[in-house]
Parts: sequence; C-alpha cells; structure tokens
Amino acid sequence: MQNMNSLTPSSTHHPARHAAIGLWLASILWPAILPAADAQTPPASEKPAPTVVAPAAPAAQNRRPRETTFPAIASEQWRGPRLADGQPDISGLWSNTIGNHGNLEDPQGGVIGEARRTPLGPREQRAPSRVSDPADGKFPFQPWAKEKVDQFRVGFHNPTYPGHVEPNARCAPGGVPKSLYWHGYDIQQYPGYVLFVFDNGSRIIHLDHKPHLPSKLKLWNGDSRGHWEGNTLVVDVANHNGKALFGRSGEFVSEHARIQEKYIFDKSGKRFNYVATFDDPTVYTRPFTITIPAIKYTEAEESDGWNLEARWAKHDGKAQILEHDERICHENNGGFGLGSTETTSPAK
Amino acid sequence: MEFRVFDRLLQDRLLQVYPTAKSTLALLVLLLVAFFLPVESVLAHSAKLPRGIDKKPDFSGIWETTSAADDDLEPHTARPDAAPSAGVVEGGEIPYLPQALAQRKKNFESRTTADPRLKGWTLGVPRGIYYREPIQIFQRPRDVTIVHQFGHSVRTIHTNQTQHPDDPNDWWLGDSRGHWEGDTLVVDVKHFNDKTWLDRAGNFHSDALHVIERWTLVDANTIEYQATLDDEKVYSKPWTIKVYLHRHPEKDFQLIEDYRYTLDYDQYYPPKRE
Repeated sequence: MQNMNSLTPSSTHHPARHAAIGLWLASILWPAILPAADAQTPPASEKPAPTVVAPAAPAAQNRRPRETTFPAIASEQWRGPRLADGQPDISGLWSNTIGNHGNLEDPQGGVIGEARRTPLGPREQRAPSRVSDPADGKFPFQPWAKEKVDQFRVGFHNPTYPGHVEPNARCAPGGVPKSLYWHGYDIQQYPGYVLFVFDNGSRIIHLDHKPHLPSKLKLWNGDSRGHWEGNTLVVDVANHNGKALFGRSGEFVSEHARIQEKYIFDKSGKRFNYVATFDDPTVYTRPFTITIPAIKYTEAEESDGWNLEARWAKHDGKAQILEHDERICHENNGGFGLGSTETTSPAK
Repeated sequence: MEFRVFDRLLQDRLLQVYPTAKSTLALLVLLLVAFFLPVESVLAHSAKLPRGIDKKPDFSGIWETTSAADDDLEPHTARPDAAPSAGVVEGGEIPYLPQALAQRKKNFESRTTADPRLKGWTLGVPRGIYYREPIQIFQRPRDVTIVHQFGHSVRTIHTNQTQHPDDPNDWWLGDSRGHWEGDTLVVDVKHFNDKTWLDRAGNFHSDALHVIERWTLVDANTIEYQATLDDEKVYSKPWTIKVYLHRHPEKDFQLIEDYRYTLDYDQYYPPKRE
C-alpha cells in the first residue's frame, strides 16, 4: 500500500518518495494514459488515487502561475549583497518559471505526439521556445540527429528500445541543461564554489580556474569551471557525456559538446536567466543557445510539491526556515515506488 | 629569536650552578618561554585550526579515511575481499542481540551479492563517512553539507538550532541535527530506514538506529570522527567507532561524479550516428 499512501492527500511532504513516484508517473503513466489538458502540470503526487482524467488545474493551489513571457536581463555590474569572499549572494531555493521538460521548442505546448483534450491556442499566447538562437526557435539538427529525435518522440509513448525511456525517468541525473527546468533546486555558495543541489544529481562549480579533468572522463553533469563577471556567473562545461536527454522531446548533444553557461542575475537577486550556448559539430549544423528563466523562492513560501519542495523546520524561534528532505531516487525506483522492499533487518 | 638566545644563556648559567638539574631546568625554561609567548601560540593545537566566519572549526575540504573500516568494522584477518585490520569498534566487537547476530552471519555469507553498495545505493550514516571514496564538506553557519563522491549523495547536517521533525520519514541518511560542544561538532542522527549496511561484512542496523557523531579537527588536515550507534532492535547496548579522515593533499584534487547506478543502461544514450 505504500504506493497508494503516497498518492493520497497528506499534510506533509515527502519529496524523496515523490521524486521516485513522480518520475515513474511522469515517464510511464502520464504520457501513456492521461490526455493532458496542460502538459506542464507536474505529476499529481498531491492528488487522490489516480484516475484517467487529468486535472484541469495545477495539483497544488499555491503553485505560482506559469509565465508566458519573461524579461531579458543584461550582464552588468552587481550592486546587490555579497558574501564574505566577494561573490554576489544569490544562495537559495530556485526554480524555472515557464514549464518543465515536456517540450523544449514549445514549453507550454504539451508533450509531442500526445492527444489533447482542448486544442492549443495561438502560439504567441504560450512561452517562447527554450531555443533563443537560432531565431526560429528550432534546434539546428543535422539530418541524422533529427531522425533519431523523431524516433525517440514516437518511442517515448510506446517504448520498444531501452533508449526510448528518458534516462531521468530511471533516476539518472537530469544533466545540463535539463536540471534547470525539472524540480526546484538549491544553490549554495562557498569560497571557491557554487554548489547546485538538484533532485537528481548535484553540480559543483569550481571557481578556482583549475584545469578540467582529463578529457577521456565523460560525466552526466560534465566538469564545470566558473567565474563571476559582475552579475553573471559564467561556467565552462567540459567532460560532458551527452547521456542526459534534454527532456521528453528527446533533444541531445554528444560527448563532443562544449557548453558555455551564463547565469545572469537581475538587480533584485530574485530572478536569473540561464543563457547557455551549446556547440557540437557532430550533431548540429551550428551552435545554438538555450534560455531558461528562473525565480528565487523565499523562506516564507509554502511548498508546492514541485518548484518548491522544501518544508519549514521545527525550532523554538519564530522565523520560517525552509529545509529540503534528502534527495533520493533510484533506491526507491524499482517500480511504482516499491523498489526498496528488501530489508537487512531480522524479521520483526 | 631573542627568546632563544636568552634561553641558551640562562641554561648555560644555571647548568654551571646546578650541573645535574637538567630536567628541572627544561621545565623551567619551558614555563619561562611560555610566559612570554601569546596564549594562542601556547595553545597552538587549536589556534592553527581553520575557522569559519562564525569562528567555529571549518571542516570545508575533501576528505577520506585511510582505515579499513568499510571492509569490516570489527577485527579481522586478511581475506580475499578485505585487508587485515584491528577494527575500529571500541572494545573490539559489536554487541549484537542473538537474533541479530544470526542475521549478520547471513549477511556476511551473502555479502558479495547482498551489500546495498553494489546497487549504488546511498551508503547511509555512518558508512558514507568512512567508505573509501572522497567526501567533500561544505560548511556555513546554518548547515554542513556533505557531498559523497559515491552516488553523489548529498547529506545536510543542520546547525541552526532546528530540531528533528515531528513527522519523520524513514530516510536513507537519517535526519541530522548538529550543535557545537566547544570545538567539536556533535550531530544527532535518527529517522533512518533499515536498508543500508555499515560495511562490506554485513554489519547492519534497523530503522531504530540512532547515531551520535562527534566531529573534531585534530589539526588542519585531520578529522577525528567518532560515532556512537544505538539500536534497541539490533544491539544490546550502544557502541562506538572512531576513524580519522585525512584531507586530500593532491593539487587540483576534486570529486568526480560517481552515479554508478546508471551503468546498467547508460550505453543506450545518447543516440548514435549509424
């Protein structure tokens, strides 16, 4: 009954369990049997036992509405607060604002190949493509790569090959850039480091200019070197293994990609735009740029079970202090949240 | 330097007068020198410790034990899968209840297939600390974050006067609340599940596990890590281990992500050109 319990309404949040079940639902149930009215609505982990009718409204009432437009942010001087080591202080809980990983070229347009209950309105009423360059918002695939992506988009709904399952649904790290439009995440800063803690995986950005790892080492999250230029964290990603697909629409880079990321923070320190250039001549006809807007959540905000999954700590003081449960996924992902039924304890 | 010259003159002079009083003299000299030095230098042991902006000892860095604790916490001779070791358990052996001892034996016999580490699962507490892969500690006044290379598990030790939650889950890493006792970080960890082992030899615990860790910097590059484990379902009394963690001295050393649980399927990604 563990799986059913975790789908019943609850006053508490257990994101660790949600992560596994959410992934499972997201990859299998949702696209397969639920005709989504709004494909950007995350798995209904806060809803009662599943039905075959998708919720018309977001599962959590306190979730912020999805943005359909967002401001550009210029790289400039940083005039906000700084940490003792001089870094702009941008630590906290963050999440993307326009949608999840369903469809990169039309982030609020639903999963490609999925039946819709209501027809989509005009394209301009929805958030723009994650691809901000080229100007047409399309990934500039080489023909062979486009063919592979099209095959994935069919196989995603009825997998006939292991590669049709999005690796993140198996609890693999979301990777670059998908981790930034998956669940909310925690950015922590330390002298010499920026640490990203995602639901699936973490990234340690080294600010000390040490050389990259030997090039033969290929990693899900790559190997990151960063530095601050005013309000912008500039990160060079090497050693990327290309295995983390960009989302349910199946875009990818190979292990030959070089990735330059810019995290451009606005004056308030409550918003940034992620602007990253991907260069992979083995898959694409030209470099392209992905743009992802993100906002910061405050300690006073209540969890919405997706963009903000932290909860308030118990303590004697009055302040609201957000903290996040441990991030566990694959250990619990053996099938509908019941993967870890083995025990090492003696029989009770 | 002037002190030294002075000491030498003093020593020579005193030795002329009392030629056999060398040990007394040594003590006197020590006291005399100590009197003139700043207090911090006399207590050099604690003064040289790295400290954070809150003046607490700063554990930031990349650490790893050289002990064989993960092979087997208890004393053991060499075997194909373990180097010999006198063990790290105070008193030598884990005080298992009889039924639990039988389970431990079963675990030991099936250890080459049953150890949860073989699935790449989060190692738990305290095993993740003395597992033979580096850990990186990030420290702020509000918390201590440990990134384990193995599985890239992330553990948070809250050091902001917060308490264990009232509605706990059973966590792989438990729920960690720390406080400072002098220069020692004392961490109370509970609300565990029963799915992790303590080492490769099948030593184990139940979901009633309660761990109290004591983290102490003995010098800038060495952490003394002590953990007391209590579990009324498995042990007859609490027991304690002690291991040392050493700072990785290699230039440009860094963690390398170890998401080994992806190895079963990672060959299917990304799509390849035929």
